[in-house]
This record gives sequence, structure tokens and C-alpha cells, in this order.
Amino acid sequence: MTGPVRILLWCAGLALAACLVTYPLYANGYYLALGISVLYFTILATAWAMFSGPTRYISLATVAFFGLGAYTAAVLGETMPWPVVLLAAAGVGALTAAITGLSTLRLSGIYFVIFSFGLAELIRQLVIWYEVNIHKSVGRYLFSAVTQDVLYWQLLGLTAVVFLVGWMLGRSRYGLALRAIGADETAASHSGIDATRIKLGVFILSATFMAVTGAVMAPRWTYIDPAIAFNPTISFQVVIMALLGGAGSLFGPVLGVIPLVLLFEVLTATLPNHFSIVLGVIFVFIVMVLPNGVIGLFGAGRWRVPAGGPAAAPARAGDAPLLAVDGVSKSFSGLRAVDGVSFTVTPGEIIGIIGPNGSGKTTLLNTLSGALRPSSGTIRLGGIVLNGMRAHQIARLGLARTFQLVRVMPDLTVAENVAAAQLFSTTNGSGATASELLDLVGLGKLQETPASDLTYIDQKRLELARALALQPRLVLLDEWLAGLNPSELETGIALIAKLRDRGLTIIMVEHVMDAIRALCSHCIVMNAGSVIARGAPEAVLSDPKVVAAYLGGDDA
Amino acid sequence: MLLVDIILPGLVLGGMYALIALGLTLQYGVARIMNLSYGESLVAAAFGAFSLYGGLGLSPLAALLLAVPVAMVLNWLLYRLLLERLMRRGKDRGAQEIDSILVTFGVLFVIQGAMLVAFGGQYYSYSYLSIPLTIMGSTLAVNRLVALLFAALVGGAVYLALTRTRIGTAVRAIAVDANAARLVGIDVAALSGLAFAFGGGLVAVGGVLISMFLTFNAAMGVVFTMKALVVIIMGGVGNVIGALVAGLLLGVVETAVARLVDPGLTLAATYALFLGVLVIKPTGLFGRAAS
Repeated sequence: MTGPVRILLWCAGLALAACLVTYPLYANGYYLALGISVLYFTILATAWAMFSGPTRYISLATVAFFGLGAYTAAVLGETMPWPVVLLAAAGVGALTAAITGLSTLRLSGIYFVIFSFGLAELIRQLVIWYEVNIHKSVGRYLFSAVTQDVLYWQLLGLTAVVFLVGWMLGRSRYGLALRAIGADETAASHSGIDATRIKLGVFILSATFMAVTGAVMAPRWTYIDPAIAFNPTISFQVVIMALLGGAGSLFGPVLGVIPLVLLFEVLTATLPNHFSIVLGVIFVFIVMVLPNGVIGLFGAGRWRVPAGGPAAAPARAGDAPLLAVDGVSKSFSGLRAVDGVSFTVTPGEIIGIIGPNGSGKTTLLNTLSGALRPSSGTIRLGGIVLNGMRAHQIARLGLARTFQLVRVMPDLTVAENVAAAQLFSTTNGSGATASELLDLVGLGKLQETPASDLTYIDQKRLELARALALQPRLVLLDEWLAGLNPSELETGIALIAKLRDRGLTIIMVEHVMDAIRALCSHCIVMNAGSVIARGAPEAVLSDPKVVAAYLGGDDA
Repeated sequence: MLLVDIILPGLVLGGMYALIALGLTLQYGVARIMNLSYGESLVAAAFGAFSLYGGLGLSPLAALLLAVPVAMVLNWLLYRLLLERLMRRGKDRGAQEIDSILVTFGVLFVIQGAMLVAFGGQYYSYSYLSIPLTIMGSTLAVNRLVALLFAALVGGAVYLALTRTRIGTAVRAIAVDANAARLVGIDVAALSGLAFAFGGGLVAVGGVLISMFLTFNAAMGVVFTMKALVVIIMGGVGNVIGALVAGLLLGVVETAVARLVDPGLTLAATYALFLGVLVIKPTGLFGRAAS
């Protein structure tokens, strides 16, 4: 951007800000009320999109937090100073979000929608019950000295805060982490991202804004009852507005708020009886025609995190086993998929795990990486017991993996996929940067490509780069070579050999025996959940038990 | 006797819930549409039965013969005109679910708005077969028993159709894996539409039967959607027997809470039960363990 343009933009921004701040001075009652509506929906929709945009957890609970804030103001408004009331509302919203989030955010998307769908109803019923049985009257009057002008300025201030926080969140590592979770939660966890905690944190943040908005808005009504404070239409309107504008970006929702607030205003004035029919038709229209919102029409970019930072430290050499697996079993109700498997891995070696399909190889890897919890046995990585740890904790300890069915984060670029794995890295070695890693796997030229556009082998390469970005001590490759054509296979084998030469320790599950022979110093053969042979590849592959397991024995 | 007072009406209510949930599980499990306008369809059917009874003196049971085909056609059109497009557009099941939730949300408002225009916000009920009957010291209206009987008949017929016929088997195959079903020559699009329409027909049955003994208004559809969802999730998605048990359980728990604690807390009880099941067994009471 050139100097004069920048100055012009700043001037325009300042002028806009001045207009917004002085608006109550020249707008009359009706237009001031309209301004208030635009502002409070802007805060609600932006706060909604802060959580629901990147994670795609469609929350219909906006009004639950909004209403709680309004009720907090109604209860405390006449006895406490106003800032304390706002703080209390923020606290109530955050606490409720924390409790409900803790119990539900680990559930997958669809359950969350339904949960939030009922949360507002549930809280409304509880408030009504409390008011009827304990307070002995359903409505409350709130007389306060807050004029419409002051209310407007409070909302304007809150709007500024919500945008500032949203902007900082988007720039911080939590912003990218949140998008990684939205793209593929499993892959994100295995990249060291604590999905549950980050989702919970942002959910609480978003709910806090909603609750404070409710408190700020409370004096506007004078009389508050649960039907007003917990009016479910608000939740729905917020969702449509954010979706119309585009929930994927910070300034998207406001683009939906302005036209829809004006439209609703016109509708309530001209067609009060048909309001909800028109609302519904608009909703259907937006989802059918504008899936990415208005902002999607302009192709507005999201926050791009610059690829960079250190990555991939070579493994520390040493004689002590890096990984010690001792008597690990995993049962699914009756089926023992992994049965008493023990082995150790010394630093710098490549271990191959082979065996027929269904012999428990991937299940074993899943127990190592924390995707599954072993039913019994212990797993130690450099002396630390991994049993019971969650995937992101194991990833942060330096155990990275790829998946048999390749999992990239489709909406993120190639560089962002790798950057996501570096977000919460605890080791700050001076290894390769993200772009060096991508060069290493041969994706150097595709850094800005969305991961979903990559070919199958490139997605596999990306997964490997992402695993390496964790600066792992140990990498688990789950059939990383499967499905490659002969020349790709050669490149792939060479790449793994190169990683070994850099000192990386690798466990590979593989059906490509040429690769096992070429790369592995040691092999484990599994059949029906147990280890049936172990040793050097050549010896193991000629073992009659192994041949029988693959081809079927005479007596099998 | 208090226990019978709770159990009997609880079972009647629960039977209704199970029937309603059965329709939703067809729509969600097979057609992969999380239909949030489901409860509105139910209330619309209730209003239909009310109008036919009040206007033409048609008995609700006869009204079923009209309501079910109409509901099926309307649901089929909804699927063909709107939802199928979303199914094709969605990249994965998650995206499809979210899109379908959002669109049916819009449909919810359209139906609700139309009912508000036609009937206003007040509560309606009519008196049909409201003859008291005493069973084991507990009084129950005949219409409730008739409703329960019909729900059992319809539910049983659907269960048999799903498990004993070719089309039913194909429909269940789609519920398990739509892509695999396509590979073995099942016309997934057509059968999904059919299952969706069938689900719509079932909810019409539920609406007509419920109108015989409950008061209803234009705004209460959401509550029925909620309860049907709770039943499905508790029972395990796509699990007919699970829906039956969860429905009955919900009916009894609600009646017990209304009777023993406070009628205003029934939804809270539903919700607590739902949350409890989700937290302890996320795949439902009878769901398979997630892999």
C-alpha cells in the first residue's frame, strides 16, 4: 500500500469512528434505536462467529447467555454500581459457558447443535421456576439512569472490544489452532493442539461477550421477564446474520447484521404477522445461495499465519530405549484387537510392524499416539508413561504420526497445516523451518495451496511434514507408502531413509515388503492381535509362521 | 395409586414420543437430514386434525387417512426441491448435517409463521373420546389409550417394513453406509427421498394422535423436535428399539417430574436426562461404541 492511500484510509477510518461516536448527538429516537439494534446484533454475531465460525459448531445458545446477562442486570441493577453489574454478568456468562462447555464440547458437532438448541429453553425454564417459586413473581422492573445515548456508547465500546479481541485471537496461535480443529479435530490433536481446552476457552470468551451485551441492553426494556430476555428468535437472528455476512472472517458478520436489522425493522413495521415466514424464507435463501456469506463473494482472505519458526530437531542419540511398549492390550467389547504386545525402540532405528489386514497394527499405533486408550499394559516414551494421556499431550512429548486414511486439514493451506503443528511445540530447537520441511518432502512450491487441492501423494507428503513439524523424537507412519505408484514409492523410500539418516526414529506399519527390507533394522509381525515373530526383516519374512499368517497354513 | 398414576400416562406419552422419534430417525438416519422443522410438521398435523374435526366433523382417526398422504407428499417435495441439493453440495457428512439443520431451521419459521397467521398464538384442543376409564385405580381417558394403540400399530408396521421387506432392507443399508449402498445398486437418492417422506408421514400420525388428548399451539413445535431428538440420541441414532425404550423412559420420567416436582420443570428433566446419557454414553443407550 502506498503512503497517500494509507493516509486516506486512516482518515476515512477516523471519520467513520467519529460519526459512530457522535451518532446519538444528531440521531433522533427512532434512528438511535436502530443504531442500538445494529450494534448489539453486531456484538452478538461477531462473538458467535468467533467460536462457531472456525469450529463450525453451530451454536443456538446465544440467547441463553444474552438472557442470563440481562437477568443479572435486572437482579443486581438497582443495588450495585453499574460496572460491578457488568462484571457480574460477564462472570455468570463465563461460568455457565464453562459448565455447559465442559460437559458438551467434547461431543461431536451434531450433538452440540442439539444441545445448544435446548440450552436456552432449559435455562429459561429454570429461571421461570426460580422466579415463581423463590422470588414469587415472574417479571422484574429495572429502573436505571442509563439513557439511550449512554446505552449506545456502552454498546459501541463493547463493539470495539469484541473486534479488538477477535482480531487478536485471529492473529494469535489460538486462531490458527481453532481453524485446525474445525478442519480436522483428530489431526489437530495429533499435532499437539489441545482441542477441548481451546474450544472451551473460545466458547467461554464468546459467551462472556453475549452475557455482557445482555446486561448492557437490560435497561432498554425497564420490565424484564424470561419471555423477553430469553426470546429464542434472537439466537436464530444472530445465526442468520453471521451466516449471511460470512462467519469465517472477523468482519463478515457485521456485513450480515446491517442489512438484516434494517430488513427486520421494515418487516415488523409493515408485515408484523408474516414476520416469521419472511424470516424463514430469508434463512433458506441464504443457506441455499450464499453458503460462504456475503464476504465470500469478495473472496476475502482469512488471517494467514506466516509460515516460519523452527522445526524438526534430530533425535538425541542414546542407548536407553526411546519407546518401551510392555504388554499392551486393547479390547473392543469382546474382541481383543491387540493382545499383550511388547517391544522397544532404540533411538535412530526404523522398526517395521507388518502383518495381515486386521491383525491389530493400526490399533497398536492408535494406543501409542493416544487416539485409543490401551486396556492394559504400559507405554513409555523416554521414561514417561503415556498411558491415559490425551493425543495432544503425547504429540507435544515428541511422538508424531501420520494416518492410514490420510488426514490433512482441508481448509487450511499447506503452510498453515505445518504451522498448526508448531503452535504448541514445547521444544525450541533450532531445526528446520516450515518451508524447509516442505522442501524436504517436496511441497516447497505448493505452500499457499489449500490442502484439499493436493493430490493423494502430496497429501501424504504434507502429513509427513506436519508430523515432522512437531520436532518429534519418534514418528509413526501408518501405511505411508500404500497406494503409491512404483516411482513414487522409490521417492518415498528415499525420503524415509533420509529422515533416518538425520537421526529420526521411526515406526512404520507397512505392507510394502520392499520398503520394509530396504529400511527396517528390525521387524515385528502381528497376527490376530499378538506378535508372532520379530527380528531382522529377511529372517522374519521367511519364518514359516509368518508365511502361514499371510498365505494361510496347511492346518489353518 | 401414585405409581400407576405415573406409569400409565407416562407410557402413553412415551409411546407417542417413540413414534415421533421413529419418524425423525428415518429422516436423520437414512436421509441424513437433521430436520429441525419436524415439530412444526407435527403441530401442523394437529391443527389439520383439529380443523377437520371442528369443520367437517371428521374423526381424527379418519383424518389420518388424509393427513398422512398429504404430509408424505409435502415432505417428499421438501426433500426433492431443497434438501437433495444440499446433500449433493456438502463435502462430508458434517457439512451436510449443518446445511440441512440450517435450511430446516428456515422451514421451521415458515411453517410456524403460517400457523400463527392462520390460528394465532392461543392454545387449542378438542374433545374426542374423552371418556374416563379407570385402570388399576388410575383414571385415563379413552382417547389416550386409542392413541397408544394406534402408535403401537403404526410403529410395529414400520418396524416390520424395515426389517422384513426388500425396500426396508435397502433403506437400512443406506442408513449404515450410503456410499456402500450405492455400490450394490441401491438408488440412494430415490430411497432417501422415500424415507424422508415416510418420516414425514409418521410425524403426521403423531400429530393427529397427540391432538386427541393434548392442548397445542402454533409455537410449541420446537418442544416436540427437542424431545424427538433427545429420544433418538438416547436410543442411538437409527436404532428402532432404542428409540422405543428411550421414548417410554422419557415419557415416564417427564410424568414423574411433573407429578412429583413441578410441571414447569419437565423440559429441564428431559434435558438433564439427555445430558446425563450423552456424558456417560455419547453414542446413546444402545449405540455402538465409537471406534
